[in-house]
This record gives sequence, C-alpha cells and structure tokens, in this order.
Amino acid sequence: MSVLPTLTDVILQTYESDPAIPALAAAALAVGLASFGAGYAERGIGSAAVGAIAEDESLFGRVLILTVIPETIVILALVVVFLTLS
Amino acid sequence: MSPRTRSSGGSSNYEYVVARVRARRAALFDEDDYRKLVRMGTGEIARFMEETEYEREMNALGARYSGVDLIEYALTRNMAKHFEDLLAWAEGELYENVARYLRRFDAWNVKTVLRGIYSGADAEAIESDLIRAGELTDETLDRLASAESIEGVIEGLEGTIFYEPLLGSFEDFEAEELLVPLENAVDRTFYEQLIEDLPDEQYADRATQLYLEFLRAEIDFRNLRNALRIARSGADIDPSEYYIDGGSLFDAEEVRRLAGDKDLLVEHVRESGYGDDLETALEELAAAEDLIGFEHALDAALLEYADTLSYRYPVSITAVLSYILAKEREIDNIRAIARGRESGLQPDEIERDLVML
Repeated sequence: MSVLPTLTDVILQTYESDPAIPALAAAALAVGLASFGAGYAERGIGSAAVGAIAEDESLFGRVLILTVIPETIVILALVVVFLTLS
Repeated sequence: MSPRTRSSGGSSNYEYVVARVRARRAALFDEDDYRKLVRMGTGEIARFMEETEYEREMNALGARYSGVDLIEYALTRNMAKHFEDLLAWAEGELYENVARYLRRFDAWNVKTVLRGIYSGADAEAIESDLIRAGELTDETLDRLASAESIEGVIEGLEGTIFYEPLLGSFEDFEAEELLVPLENAVDRTFYEQLIEDLPDEQYADRATQLYLEFLRAEIDFRNLRNALRIARSGADIDPSEYYIDGGSLFDAEEVRRLAGDKDLLVEHVRESGYGDDLETALEELAAAEDLIGFEHALDAALLEYADTLSYRYPVSITAVLSYILAKEREIDNIRAIARGRESGLQPDEIERDLVML
C-alpha cells in the first residue's frame, strides 16, 4: 500500500510547502477577529452606558471610558501584526 | 444575548434595562429618609416629597387633592410611571417576564372598575383609583371606567385574558348579585397566566430559573395567606375554592386539611423548601396574634432574597425584580407613614410597621 508512506509524510510534515494561510492573511485575520470581539463587548457595555446616562447625565465621562476599554484588544492585535510582519 | 434565549420578538436588552433600573433602585428612599419622614406631619411629608422623585406627580395633582389623599395619589401615579417605563424599555424575553408580573396591576384595575361600577361610582372617581402600570392601555381603561354596567365592562375587555373567565362567571354574578365570583375570576386568571407558557426551564439560564421559582413562590404565598386568613377568621368557607393551582407548597386537598389549624399550617411551611428562608417570618407568625407581623416579615424576606439574587446574577431579570419589589415597598412605607401620622400614631409605632432592610 502506498498510502502509508504518504500518511507518514503528512503527519511528520516532511513536505516543504507554503502554509495554508500566508503571514499577511493571518495578520489580517488577527486584527479582524480582535475587532469583532471588541465590537461584541462594546455592544453590551454601550447599551448599559446609554441606560446609565439616561438616568444620570454626569456619568458621561466615566461611561465613555468604560465603553472604549475593549478597544485595547484591537491595539494588542495590531502589535502582533507588526511583530509578525517585521 | 446568549444563543439559548428564546426568540419572542427579538433578543432581550438586559444591559440597558438593568443599568437604568439600578440607577433608580439606588435613588429610592433609604432608612435615613424614613426616619425623617416618620417625624413629620402630613403637610411636611407632602413638601418633602415635592423636593424628591415625586415632584412632578405632586405638582400635577396638587390642585385636585390635598393632605394624605394627595400623597397617596402621587405615590401610585409615580409607581405606575416607573413600571410603565420598565415595560417600554424591555424587549423580547425580558419583556415577557416583566409583564408577567406587572399584569397584577391589570387585575387590580379590572377589579377596581368592577367594584366602582357595582357601587355606582362615577367614571372620574374610578379613574383616580386606577394604577396605570399594566398592559391594558390608557384608552381601554378609560373606556372601562366610563362603562354603563358590569356587562359593559366585560364587553370592553374583549380580546384580553380576562374576557373569557369573566364571561364564564357572569351567570353566578347575576344569580347572587355579588361581585365575589367576578373578582375571583380575575384573580384566578392573573395567577394562572403568571406561570402559563413559561419558557422551557431546561434551556433558561440560572437567573431566569430563579425568577420562575420566585413566581411560583408568589402563588404559594398567596395560597398561604388565604389559608391563614380563613383559619383565623374561623369562617365556614371551603379553602380549596380559593386555592390557586401551580404552587409547590400545597395541593387543594392539603389546604382544606390545614386551613383549620394554624399550628399545623406553620409546621407544614417549616418543613417545606421555604422553611429556611422564612425562619423569622414563621417565628413571627407563631408568636404573634395578628397576621400583619408575618406579612411584613414575609415581604422583608422576599426583598432581601431578590437583592441577593440581583448581586449574584447582575445582568439578568433579577435586578429588575428587586427594583419592582423595592419600589412597591417604598410606596407602601410612605403610605403607612402618611396614614399613621394622620391618625396620630407615635413615630416608633409607625417605624415598626415599615418594611426596611
């Protein structure tokens, strides 16, 4: 059977070929997924923030900071991108 | 929201509602305010309320009423406004669950209208006693209040959950000329729909499960109060006639057996699942001659439980529940203070009647 050596090659990754996802695409994915996560987190925080402001306007500043905190994860993703591409 | 949430008209917006509700919960009167209030006369209480949350209602009603009446009407109107807000904000499953509980005010309104029409009060007098917090719209309520007869009221309720049951018990009403069958029909409808079509508990999150448990407890306590009242009054009434299905504390047969004997009843509750939570309330009941102490202890236990839940499950219906209960207690407390001061009770006597945490 010729399957066995082929299989062994695959498992041991003896083939020299390009990765399925090139570095640039992986970097783009990293940023995209991180932004997606930040967006989802901000959805909840944002609606709570609007509710809080509706009750007490003086909370605006504090609530604004809380709302953008998930944005930091996008910045971290960008750091990873620069590390990968450099 | 979580993918398990049942989609009935979109997903729920817990974050928004909980943020607003928490702000309002924090703005309720605290112990210091009560301590000040019990030392005031009715006029001072009214003035104090004008400077707080109740300003708008006090100003709107100030021309028409005065004294304790003004305070009472302002309180109920303010409560109605806040609860209407809840229904206006909530969406999806959250709305369903909040409305489930707030429909008690629909039942209250229907009963008020029935009593008003029965006793020949005019539309304006009835309207001033309505609590516009439930699902029935303002137009429906106005139309009901200005109905000519009991039939007119029932006709006006067509399309609501109360229509069929009222129609069913109308014959009894005509035969006996008493409102009791109709009022029973309204109450029974409310409690039946309280636990009808509940979301599948297996798929609900923990907080929703606890809320459903709370609704069931509501039925149990209603049954318990009814049984206690019958037991105390010594009247020859069949308790199972007032029994509401759906609770876990007793079934119809047990109510009949226990209603005759207070000690047996207390023992039964102590051994049930509520025993631990209601320890103080039960002691109060065993010792006290009147039911008021027990009912206050019951209310305080419920409120405390709801508060604990709302901290344990921050983004869930329990925060809304704890607000609803706290607001109702506040209304009851201020009313008790105003009434007590009017009839000349001492501050410490009134303070004993308040439900505080």
